[in-house]
This record gives sequence, C-alpha cells and structure tokens, in this order.
Amino acid sequence: MSARGELQVRELMLRFAGQQRALLDIANIELQAGSSLGVSGISGAGKTTLFHCLAGIAKPTSGTVRWGGVDICALSGDEQARWRLRNVGLVFQDFHLVDGLSALDNVLLPSYFDHWQPSATLREHARELLSVVGVTAMDRLAALLSRGERQRVALARALLLEPAIVMADEPTASLDPDHRRQIGDLLVEMVRKQGATLIVISHEPELLKRMDRCLSLQHGSLQPSADVP
Amino acid sequence: MMRFNPLPLVRADLRRSRLLAAVTVLLIAISVATGIAVISQERALRQGSARAADDFDLLLGAPGSSTQLVLTAVYLRAQAIPLLDADLLLQASGAAGVKYAAPIAFGDSWQGHPIIGTIADFASRGATLTPTQGRLFQARGEALVGAGVDMALGAIFSPAHGLHLVHDDEAAAPDAAHEAIHYTVVGRLPARHNIWDSAILVPVEDVWQVHGLPTGHETGSAKIGPPWQASQLVGVPAIAIKPDSVAAAYRLRGQFRTARSLALFPAEVLNDLYLTLGNVRDLMSALAIMTQVLVVSAVLMALLVGFLARQRQFAVLRAIGASRLYVFSVVWIEVLLLIVCGALIGSTLGWIGANGLSHWLQSQVGFAMPVRLGAAEALLVAALVLLGALVAVLPAWLVFRRPIAQGLVSG
Repeated sequence: MSARGELQVRELMLRFAGQQRALLDIANIELQAGSSLGVSGISGAGKTTLFHCLAGIAKPTSGTVRWGGVDICALSGDEQARWRLRNVGLVFQDFHLVDGLSALDNVLLPSYFDHWQPSATLREHARELLSVVGVTAMDRLAALLSRGERQRVALARALLLEPAIVMADEPTASLDPDHRRQIGDLLVEMVRKQGATLIVISHEPELLKRMDRCLSLQHGSLQPSADVP
Repeated sequence: MMRFNPLPLVRADLRRSRLLAAVTVLLIAISVATGIAVISQERALRQGSARAADDFDLLLGAPGSSTQLVLTAVYLRAQAIPLLDADLLLQASGAAGVKYAAPIAFGDSWQGHPIIGTIADFASRGATLTPTQGRLFQARGEALVGAGVDMALGAIFSPAHGLHLVHDDEAAAPDAAHEAIHYTVVGRLPARHNIWDSAILVPVEDVWQVHGLPTGHETGSAKIGPPWQASQLVGVPAIAIKPDSVAAAYRLRGQFRTARSLALFPAEVLNDLYLTLGNVRDLMSALAIMTQVLVVSAVLMALLVGFLARQRQFAVLRAIGASRLYVFSVVWIEVLLLIVCGALIGSTLGWIGANGLSHWLQSQVGFAMPVRLGAAEALLVAALVLLGALVAVLPAWLVFRRPIAQGLVSG
C-alpha cells in the first residue's frame, strides 16, 4: 500500500452562493492507506458531491482534503487532473467509456494524457487487466459491449496506472443483479490486491458490507451512528 | 514533441459521428469548390480569350461596335457587320509600317467549319506559322485547314453558304452548297487552341467570286493576294493588319480611325471586357467568400451543438486525468481536420468543375481556356483554413472552461 492513499478531511464545506443550507458539511474523515470506505445515503444526501470533493473534481467552499499530505483543494485545475492521473482510478455509475474506441483503447486511454503512445508493457498490462475482469473481446468497440462488459472495461481503466486510490460512484447501480455482484466482487478484490485505498459510493448493502468502514450521509452531513469502524 | 496524444480520441469521435463529419466536409467542400471554380474559370476565360487575340495586332472594320468587330473577326462569331470601303484595303496594304493587311471575309462554311477568305500571309501569320502537313494555299481553289478540321490533304469539298457558329443569328443558317466551286485541301495549320483551329482558310478571291463579287483582279484572272485593283473591289468585313513595330501600330491605328473606318487593337477591347469581367469576378469572389463564411459558421454552430452535447465525455476525460489542453486539442483538431478535409476535397472538386466548365465553354466560344490553380485560389483555401482554425477555438474554449462536476452531471 502507498502512503499516497491516506486521507484526511477537515472542516469540509460546500455551499453555493446565496444558499443557506450547505450541500456538504463534514467535520472530519480519516482513512488509512489501503483501507476501504463505503458511503451511503438517500438520493440528494450529498454522496456524489462528497465524491467530487474527495477526487478534486469540485472545489469546496472551505476546508481541506489531504491525500498523502497533499491538499488537493489548493491545487489548480490542471494540477488536480495530473494528481488524479497519477493517483486515482475513477469508476462511474454510467461507465463513461468512449464509444468510438475499442475496449483495449478505452483501458489505455489515460496513458494518452501524458504519452504519445502507451509502452508495450502498459499495453500488455491493459490486456491482463481485461482478461482478469473477463472481457475477451478486447478489440470490439465499446459501443458494442454489454452493460456488464462496459463496467468491467471501466474498472480495468481505473486500475491501469496502478493508482493508490480507487473511487467508485455507484459502480453497480445500473447493472442487473448478477452483474452487480460480479462487478462488486471484482472491484473489491482487485483494489485489495493492488493495495489501494477504496472509496465506494453505493446503495448496495452487499457491496457496503465488504468495506472496512461505512459512512452515511444525510443532508450533506455525516450520521455518527452510521460510521462503523 | 507533444507530451500527449489527442488523435485516438479525435479518431474515435469522428468514427462515432461519421454522418455529421461527412456532411460537414461536404458542405465545406461545396463552398470551396464554388469559390475556386469561379476564380479559376474567370482567369481561364481571360487568358484563353487573350491568347485567341494574339494573332490580331490591329483590326480595321466599318464604323460601329468595336466589340462586335472583335467578336466577328477574332472569335468568328458570325454576325452581319457592315463592309469597309474597298479603297481602305488598298490603303492599308500600301501603308508604311505594314507587314501585311489581310482581308477577312466570311460567309461560307463546310460541315460547321467556317470558311474564311484571306491571304497566305495571314494564314502563315507573316511566315511565323508553318503548316504541320502540306503547304499554304498558292492558287485559287486551294484550302488550308485548321488543326481541328477533320479533312485529309487532297480532300475536295464545296462550301455551303452561311455559317453555323451562332445558331440564333440569321446569318447562321446555312443553305445550299456553292456547287460551282470546289476546294482542295493542300495543308494543315498547327493547333492554335482557338476557334481558328476549326476554320478553313481559302484565298479571299474565291470567297468574293462565290458570292458574285469582283475578285480584286482582272476578270478571269487566277491571281491571288495583293495587289488588288480598286475598280475590282467592293469591300471587306474586316482587315487584319500586321504592323512592323509598336510605333507603326499606333500610327496606323490613328491613321485609320476615321469617320469611314474603325481601327482598334483587339487587346484594348478585351481590356474593357476584362474590366467588366474583373468586376464580376470581384463580385463572385465576394459572394464565394461570404458563402464560405456562412457555411463555416453554420458548420461550426452544428459542431458546437454536437460538442456541447458531449460535455459529459469531456468532463469524464478531465476527471480521469486529462489536462485542459488535452481536451482543447481534441475539439480543436476535430474541427480543423474537418475544415482541412473539406478544403482539400473542395479544391479538387473546384478544379475538376472548372475544367469541365472550361471544356463546355470551349465548345461554345471556340477558344481553349486552360484552367490552372493560382495564388488567388490558394489564398482562398488558406484563408478558410486559417479562419476555421481561429473559429474552432470557440467550441474548444467553451468545452475547455466548463467545470468538470457540472459536465459530469449534464445530460
């Protein structure tokens, strides 16, 4: 596990100008590198907003989000993107693959952000990841893959650069029950194998049960009773 | 060396929206092709018409329209024009500084080829043209054919009265053949790439005789060419004069610019036409540029809508680690690629179209109009690509500045 995966959140608040109620108001979250955290809550509770703040996608009104000692809120937009590229693998509910690219090229996509061509080693690693997640049609366009396959490809993409942190926003919500369980298993097992910190936003009790800790959000705030170490 | 590679994304996006890309390229191509065809065709018309007039330094005709005289004598557009007094032909032939003064007499044709009565000096353009086959005519009844006339040496034919070239003119309708005269083809001229390639040149005396006019010589004489006798002449439609110097040309023009005759340099008349053509070209060019601006704007608006609809994809790219410059590059290169492809295809289509038009016009006006792409066309394409490159910054910038979180939740 990498120290880059250690999380410290302090006095995190996000409030839109002119609005009384904060979208997010979290006093403190700490997470050890290599551990896993589940975040649950009803719709509109602020789960995705927290996800965005923890990933440096949204800028909080105040507070700090430190990953391995780096306050990502203090970074510029491009610095945050570079930090995410090197440290974070993201998995989304709707997969967000590029339809015009093959499964393999979708996995390799992040490598094009700072290289002209992926190395042979990285290409081989991408193939291995696809094999592990069970996608055999590596050259098939993403648009032609099933939903389950698409989420497997998205998972492989998130793990390509061996990130210290993997964050998944409702990774199983748009899948059928069989795929839900399979993808959940793959996510947890592969991230653990890599020793990365895992944060999962989900409604799925089965998936949340497999996390080291779970937090429940309500109206943007943590529910103390729900924080189960 | 770039530290990133947007091309896989560009390729994937274009593959995904290939119909939109194809329509975009097509619209740009049509717009470019129109502009190029207009500009290159106008230039080809100007160069082709100027080349056709090269053989006519100074032209004499009866007072009237100078344009009509040039069209009739130089481009053989058959029209009824008044005759010059006969003594003017003699004056011109004997004037100082004249290499030759050639009567140009029309009226007959053979299978659509105009038969022009003139002198051997004009046929050889003052000994600067040598027949590619045979020789110049040396006696009555001999004919010299242009490069485009499908008749072999030794062929014998009779002229038909009238010319075929202008179908809506009353002078154009051919009628009965002049069976009383037969011409024998004795030579073929080299190609001049103008209407004269389809003409048949014969001694002017034969044309006069066919039409029942005196031949310029004693009755029954078989002589051809000057000197002619004033008492044996009735007049000619036009005289082509070859001066021996520029100074002589201007002097002769002044000398014959009188109440009885019109003397002009065809190049002058063409200049006036070119001025008009130039104005038309400027107008057409402005229209072409305006069309291009409108097409590019419409295309960019469509692309912009397309890009805005793909906000989520760009937000995802940013979320998984792409820099703003990377996303900007994807959008900018996509737009630029479509414009460059459209411009290249449009240039090719424009060139092909201009050649096709030129070929068709050649059959209508009688002179070759070689189409070449020049600086104006290159400038047009370069301006379009540059404009496209600049305007493409707009969608790229709009995508560039949108917050990631907002893009991720957009529909």
